[in-house]
Amino acid sequence: MRRLLGLSLDYRRECIEVFLLQVTLLALGVSGLGLSGVAVDVIRSAVEPGAPPARWPLGVTPPAGWDASHTLLAIGGVVLVMAVTRALLSYSYQVLIGRLVHLKIVPELRTRVFDKLQRLSFRFFDENATGSIINRVTGDVQSLRSFVDGVLLQGLIMLISLALYLVYMLRTSATLTLACLGLSPVLWIVTTRFSRRIRPAYAASRELSDRLVLAFSEGIHGMLVLKVFGREPDEHARFRERNRAVLEQQKSIFRRVSRYSPTVNFISQLNVAILLTYGGSLVAKSALSLGELIVFAGLLQQFSAQVSSMSTVVNTLQQSLTGARRVFEVLDAPLEIASPREPRALERLSGHVKLESVDFAYPDGDKVLRRVELEVRPGECVAILGLTGAGKSTLLGLVPRFYDVTGGRVTIDGTDVRDLELDFLRKNVGLVFQESLLFRASVAENVAFGAPDASRERIEEAARIAGAERFIQALPAGYETVLDEAGANLSGGQRQRLAIARAILPDPPILLLDDPTTAVDAKTESEVLEAIDGARRGRTTIIVANRMATLRRADRIVVLHEGRIVEAGTHEELLLRRGLYFRAAALQAPDAESLKLLEAPRGDA
Amino acid sequence: MKTRLRSKPPPSADQRPLDFSIVRRLFGYTRPHAGLRNRLILMVTLRSLQLPTVTWWTATIISGPVARRDPTGTLHGVLVLLAFAAFTELCFVYRSRFALELGEAVVHDLRNDIHATLLRMPVAFFKRTPIGRLIGRVTSDVDVVRIGVQDVVFVSAVQFGNFAVSAVLMLWYDWQLFLVVLVMAPILWSIVRHFRLALSRAYRAQQESFSRVTAKLAESVTGIREIQGFVRQSLNGELFEELIRDHSRYNYDAARQSAVFQPLLELNGQVFLSILLVVGGYQALGGHVPLHALIQFLFLSNAFFGSIPMIGTQYNQALTAMAGAERVFALLDLQPDWVDEPAARDLPELSGAVEFRDVSFEYEPGRPVLSGVSFRIEPGQTLALVGHTGGGKTTVMNLVAKLYLPSRGAVTIDGHDLAHATSTSLHRQLASVTQENFLFTGSIRENLRLGKPDATLAEMEEAARALDVLDLIEALPQGFETPVGERGAGLSLGQRQIVCFVRAMLAKPRILLLDEATSSVDAVTEARVQEALGRLLAGRTSFVVAHRLSTIRHADLVLVLDGGRIVERGSHRELLRQGGRYAELYREFASVVDLEPGIGLTS
Repeated sequence: MRRLLGLSLDYRRECIEVFLLQVTLLALGVSGLGLSGVAVDVIRSAVEPGAPPARWPLGVTPPAGWDASHTLLAIGGVVLVMAVTRALLSYSYQVLIGRLVHLKIVPELRTRVFDKLQRLSFRFFDENATGSIINRVTGDVQSLRSFVDGVLLQGLIMLISLALYLVYMLRTSATLTLACLGLSPVLWIVTTRFSRRIRPAYAASRELSDRLVLAFSEGIHGMLVLKVFGREPDEHARFRERNRAVLEQQKSIFRRVSRYSPTVNFISQLNVAILLTYGGSLVAKSALSLGELIVFAGLLQQFSAQVSSMSTVVNTLQQSLTGARRVFEVLDAPLEIASPREPRALERLSGHVKLESVDFAYPDGDKVLRRVELEVRPGECVAILGLTGAGKSTLLGLVPRFYDVTGGRVTIDGTDVRDLELDFLRKNVGLVFQESLLFRASVAENVAFGAPDASRERIEEAARIAGAERFIQALPAGYETVLDEAGANLSGGQRQRLAIARAILPDPPILLLDDPTTAVDAKTESEVLEAIDGARRGRTTIIVANRMATLRRADRIVVLHEGRIVEAGTHEELLLRRGLYFRAAALQAPDAESLKLLEAPRGDA
Repeated sequence: MKTRLRSKPPPSADQRPLDFSIVRRLFGYTRPHAGLRNRLILMVTLRSLQLPTVTWWTATIISGPVARRDPTGTLHGVLVLLAFAAFTELCFVYRSRFALELGEAVVHDLRNDIHATLLRMPVAFFKRTPIGRLIGRVTSDVDVVRIGVQDVVFVSAVQFGNFAVSAVLMLWYDWQLFLVVLVMAPILWSIVRHFRLALSRAYRAQQESFSRVTAKLAESVTGIREIQGFVRQSLNGELFEELIRDHSRYNYDAARQSAVFQPLLELNGQVFLSILLVVGGYQALGGHVPLHALIQFLFLSNAFFGSIPMIGTQYNQALTAMAGAERVFALLDLQPDWVDEPAARDLPELSGAVEFRDVSFEYEPGRPVLSGVSFRIEPGQTLALVGHTGGGKTTVMNLVAKLYLPSRGAVTIDGHDLAHATSTSLHRQLASVTQENFLFTGSIRENLRLGKPDATLAEMEEAARALDVLDLIEALPQGFETPVGERGAGLSLGQRQIVCFVRAMLAKPRILLLDEATSSVDAVTEARVQEALGRLLAGRTSFVVAHRLSTIRHADLVLVLDGGRIVERGSHRELLRQGGRYAELYREFASVVDLEPGIGLTS
């Protein structure tokens, strides 16, 4: 709540402008109403003998010579002028609010949340569903901003108008005002009680609909699987169930919400009743003119309209608080991995990577790496072979600090990576993933992902090294071909070659490849391997691989098993050891019979 | 580097802002909740009469007993007023509750329909449709429809009643004065007409730009590894900001339009008030109009003109809701490229003889992926598909699974043409493991259930044991209960593929499709799985695509595909002996690993 107020302070200038405009609008409205009351009294005193003469507010009286019809004409004219002014002001008021909300608050907040989101550690993305994250930038920001225009401004306007009405009413008749407003505390109690009860319900409903959206988007992403297993009906049933849960939860909120407004309305009606009874007796005693009573009724109506809009404000407050909590969760999430305060300044890294007694465990305590020692000299290429879940990808992730070690340290050129400026570090590391995500942009833009300013020559050069040149040129618009979502219009091998080009374009001294040939077939594999050969020239390269074709090209191979390095050496050395490496190689080797058949002179079978 | 903003599709329905066919269709969605709807209509009718009555009665008390200085008369009048007000508000409780419930119920049904429609779409649809857009349909679009149903129709109905009844009352009190109201009517009408056009255009643009924002957002969340790894945060942030600014401008445009609209509506009421004072006042002074009628006019005209801006507001929302409903209905109206024939019959229990008869296929017209492919394999046999990327291997699998229909020719199983068979009966007897490794959020156990919904834990363990991976699953933090994050997060690719493999085996399929099924598994585990597969494939018809040619040695039939045609066919041995394309591929493969001569090849 205090945070929200602080946030609104950033927009105080606009808020004050809006506020001043609104006050003027109100004053005009009240005066218009007052004048029509005066008009009634003017008519009444002229028509009904014995009726008291009109009382003029604020000490303004018409010139003595004017008769009733002149006065009426003047009042009509003034009301008209005020109405036009009101319309103009009201226009600028709404435009001002529109500008404040749509051009300032929302885009600024969204940009901030998005910026922060991008810098959060991977853990945040592992823990939160995509749908929920998206909602935070879209829906939750909207509810948060409604705190400014829907709660703060509306609330303030409400207060001011209440005060203004009150002053006017008090001036007309103090006792009547007090009698009519005696019920306001009841109104206030109803409002706050409502607010306290409904808040958790709204939070719950948000969660439920998040889950629904997640189920929906997952179903779409996994459509192929669903179809192959013929599970569409089950999936639909699952969706229906969640959908139903949202409906039921909403219904329980509705029960409470729908009781609120009528209660508030009825209290206002009670007010009118008091006004008529008590005010009527005042008119009978001539303590109040009929016109004043009418104005009073009008004011009271506006007054209760304002108080009822309290329910809207309260409602909005609930939603904005829930939204705000979720937005602030993102804005406040600690940057688990951030640049050190005083980073070690280095010109350029030469790429001497060293893991010194590295331990890594996930927050839930699962140890993934244990006392891993590995040194890769500048320009050297080391391959890692390991079992599923042996911690290979985690090991690679330690170098660009996607994760931080939980014990030991990772150094580059002798400097702990945690002492380097984060962006500098990452710019010195080129990455190729198992499944490289390409973006919905042109091929050239995708290759230049890490160096957006790169010239066309450099882009083409990188593509050439990665062996991607030929197929790019064969695309309908060459380098300008726009890729589908996630590069779906390319084959796995083509995607990987683009990913390699993307990785080497900024010319990083260190290149990390996480099983880059997993998703490509034999022929394409050799193309990807050639691309890797070109890419790793002059760079320190660490490559996770399972295929012999990839492994044997490395200068050195380490075998990772249960978080430890159990074998290390060259391809030949490891084969001789007859260990895990040998077993893996044997599986991928041709069998003797096939070799014999292959060598046999061609003849009829 | 700029992300190009996709040019908007032409504003299709601009000229017919209130499209009654959409309204009617939306109304159709209330039919299943007719009871609720009818009660709501009753409440709305009551309320539309009650509101002006309360106003009228208040004015009557003032112009009657109060003006006559009659306290008892006033008190009686007030008591009646109170009783009536209590009744009115009680109606309001149900009015709002029913409306909220009806809106939510309609939205609930719409969501189910959208989901069902999407499930009917063939796989190709999801390859060409941005997923963010589909998500927008069940979130933002459906939400505006909800507001449309909850508020627009019923609030406007109440306000319209308010408007009409006060008009009638005014007419009854003094028809001449009421004529002034009629003068205002055409002015109001033209204002409304002008702005509804501008507003509908603005809202459409607004929602379009919002889909772009969501799409970009979704992409950034999935691509966070790339963004952080390539230090693209700032640039990506700028691109996003640009989209956000673009969207904001649409929002602002819409806000500005309504900023003119609303005050103009109100101005109308004020103008009327001043006219009323002057004209009515003159009439009263001349004795043509009684004072009490003038007082009634002051109150009733408030109700009359007060309801117009309210209807105006509802009109704005109606436009937004319509835009949303239009998109939702457009999605619901999409016809799948193909569906099972109406006369399609369920396949009996299959033995698994698969035959391709002169099958051709193209994803895009004019770019054939398979041309004239024919082959047959007998029940229980293994077919290996070999060839370069783009040769059509995966397409063959997709056709066997009836995820696509052949453009020409026929795919039959046990002599049943798949074109005349129901997809469900086929899919019940078929399973596949691909490199995609898609898992759902939930536990491993829940994911395995996809293969066999009623599988017990014992059956799951049995399937995992048969595949020789039980120890790998049990080694996970919580074994079969280990939670799986969105799209498999929390498990490595290899672990995911193992789960997918167990899932497929659990289904005990007659036909098994293995498309690089062990590509993500580490080499040591792969050795175990391959050995187990030898046993598991016995008695099942299986299709295998594998880059490691060592794993397809035992296939009964090897097809070498190139450019969508079969260029070689035969057994592993035959093809090696032939020394053709397959032998060439095998040599390529063999050259990679040369276990020293003499060292036992695979034991």
